[in-house]
Amino acid sequence: MRVAGRIDGPDQRFLGVLDTSPFRIAVVFSIAFACGAAALLLGVDYAVSRVVDGSTDNLIEAEVQGLREQVLVLSRADFIELIEQRSQDQDVRGAVYLMVDPQLRPVAGNVPMWPKIDASEGKWIQFKVSVPFGDTTRQHEMRAQRFPLPGKYQMLVGHDVQERQDVKNLMMRGLIAAVLLTLMIGMGGGIWMGRRILAQAGAISAVATQIMRGDLSQRLPVRDADDEINTLAREINSMLDKIEQLTLGMRTVLDSAAHDLRTPLNRLQATAEGAMDQLAPGSAERRVLERVTSEVDRMRGTLDALLRIALAETGTVAREQVDLSALVASMVELYAPVGEERGIALESAVAPGAYVQGSRQLLAQALANLLDNAIKFTPDGGRIRVLLRGSSTEPEVVVEDNGPGIPADKREIVLGRRVRLDEARKFPGSGLGLSLVAAVTKLHGARLVLDDAQPGLRVSLKF
Amino acid sequence: MHILIVEDDEVARDYLAKALREVGHAVDVASNGLEGLQMASSMAIDLAIVDRMLPKLDGLALVQSLRATGRKMPVLILSALGDVDDRITGLRAGGDDYLTKPYHMSELLARIDALARRGESGSGETNTRLRLADLELDRMTRRVTRNGKKIELTAREFQLLEFMMRHSGQVVTRTMLLEGVWDYHFDPQTNVIDVHISRLRQAIDKDFDKPLLHTVRGAGYSLREDE
Repeated sequence: MRVAGRIDGPDQRFLGVLDTSPFRIAVVFSIAFACGAAALLLGVDYAVSRVVDGSTDNLIEAEVQGLREQVLVLSRADFIELIEQRSQDQDVRGAVYLMVDPQLRPVAGNVPMWPKIDASEGKWIQFKVSVPFGDTTRQHEMRAQRFPLPGKYQMLVGHDVQERQDVKNLMMRGLIAAVLLTLMIGMGGGIWMGRRILAQAGAISAVATQIMRGDLSQRLPVRDADDEINTLAREINSMLDKIEQLTLGMRTVLDSAAHDLRTPLNRLQATAEGAMDQLAPGSAERRVLERVTSEVDRMRGTLDALLRIALAETGTVAREQVDLSALVASMVELYAPVGEERGIALESAVAPGAYVQGSRQLLAQALANLLDNAIKFTPDGGRIRVLLRGSSTEPEVVVEDNGPGIPADKREIVLGRRVRLDEARKFPGSGLGLSLVAAVTKLHGARLVLDDAQPGLRVSLKF
Repeated sequence: MHILIVEDDEVARDYLAKALREVGHAVDVASNGLEGLQMASSMAIDLAIVDRMLPKLDGLALVQSLRATGRKMPVLILSALGDVDDRITGLRAGGDDYLTKPYHMSELLARIDALARRGESGSGETNTRLRLADLELDRMTRRVTRNGKKIELTAREFQLLEFMMRHSGQVVTRTMLLEGVWDYHFDPQTNVIDVHISRLRQAIDKDFDKPLLHTVRGAGYSLREDE
């Protein structure tokens, strides 16, 4: 199913309806029902025709048989008399008779002229005859057989089948109307149900997006009904309750871990600094304590990074609208002089107006880590490129250097926690830099891709 | 200055009190939130240092109560939680600055000085012209001169100098600069701030006899006229 959040125009919305499962089901069923209706009507038509046609044909055949017998016993004048009688007995819409001479001129009967047909004896003939119809005339369909009379005269005996034809036409029109109506009702119902589903799904996916962005207090909208969607929404909501509890629990654990680690570190720092104040600068004891405080700094750095990674992974970070363009530009501006110190050119192309929902501080930290890394691993006189491109709502940030890069088979593992490649051990750092970038990227629903910049490393964050 | 420390960790509290007394402050201490609130409400305190997690009354609740009763003294919150969001909640509760443990005493002292200065010269923020010796900065025209000679600065260098001049005579740490000028709260692995300062130094001190921008070893930088 299409994600309703992405639907923007009215045309798109309509196309969205066409994609919904209720619409598709409705289409399939209405086509099936239309076929059913058509089959039913065609069946009825066939049965009716067989009965009606059969009886008409029997009637004509019996009459033909009767007249054939009569022609053997009657004189021509008497036979003509008989034909005239029978013709007058019947309305033209019923039985029809026509006796013609060898030149096909009518001699007796109720059909004005011999039809332009050429059928052998015993075969069925269909032709049209004008009959009075109110003030005008109307063409009627006739069904007949012909047989020869003595002296090259010919006889035509038949029946008006126009009514039967009318019924057939009516049935055919009814059939088409029934099929169209079934299809229309089916499609209409499908569109209506589709819109309903789309509206519900749209509301759900809007909330789901917020939840994925980390606002775990959100719940799916539930209507006062027991249909499948509401039941599903209720179940998802109770699942969310559980996730929220777990996440808050994790956050609490994280907070107490932070507290329990920072407090003794702080004491250590205070004790060392306090003792240092008593000692003369440059004394051996003081140098030992200086080493202690610098180790405390390192531990603090690692702890900060670990806590930030854990924090990003719980997803419980407050979010705001972040001007990513401004952030990237300012980080480039912050780091450019550091690169210049080593003759590294920091080039940048930052598209304006890109915004993301998230934590400005964590994004800044992630970018700082990438730039720190790039500067660290790029040789003097090298080049670093920072790009912000793509659309304003789905931007991509690229940091590219021409340093040694990371071999393709190791790109996955460097994103894992505390992985430092052997080649990187000669450089300072905790090895948590890229892990933090990965966690922050994930927190923002973005994708982190490491690639070969030929030569060098290209890191891309696709939001 | 009369400073109140509300901190339940004895080791940290004692060292903090001692260090503050050594630089000439009068110090009172409280070991839980309730006691801290009573002291802060009843005594003439110029500045309070409040730990975020305290027994009896939480540090944030303490600050909120102080603000609710109209006490406006600067408050520095110390926290053993300390991350992006905690900082924001701390400042929102009424704290003026936020420092995460473990901290260097030099960092804390620099921040206290900055807070105290902000407290006493509230009008300093509205001055359009900042002046130190022969260095002048006009915030309206964004013009910087030294000894009457115009100095060209980038927008960021201007902001950096403005920050330093507002804190002239005080020690300004690297994190204070990163927070105050760039609004970033992290420890960069590289010496980003040092590089920016050295550029600023090139611009304002290079062609003049008396340097104004000094490096304070183990602490940060200071913009001052002297020695």
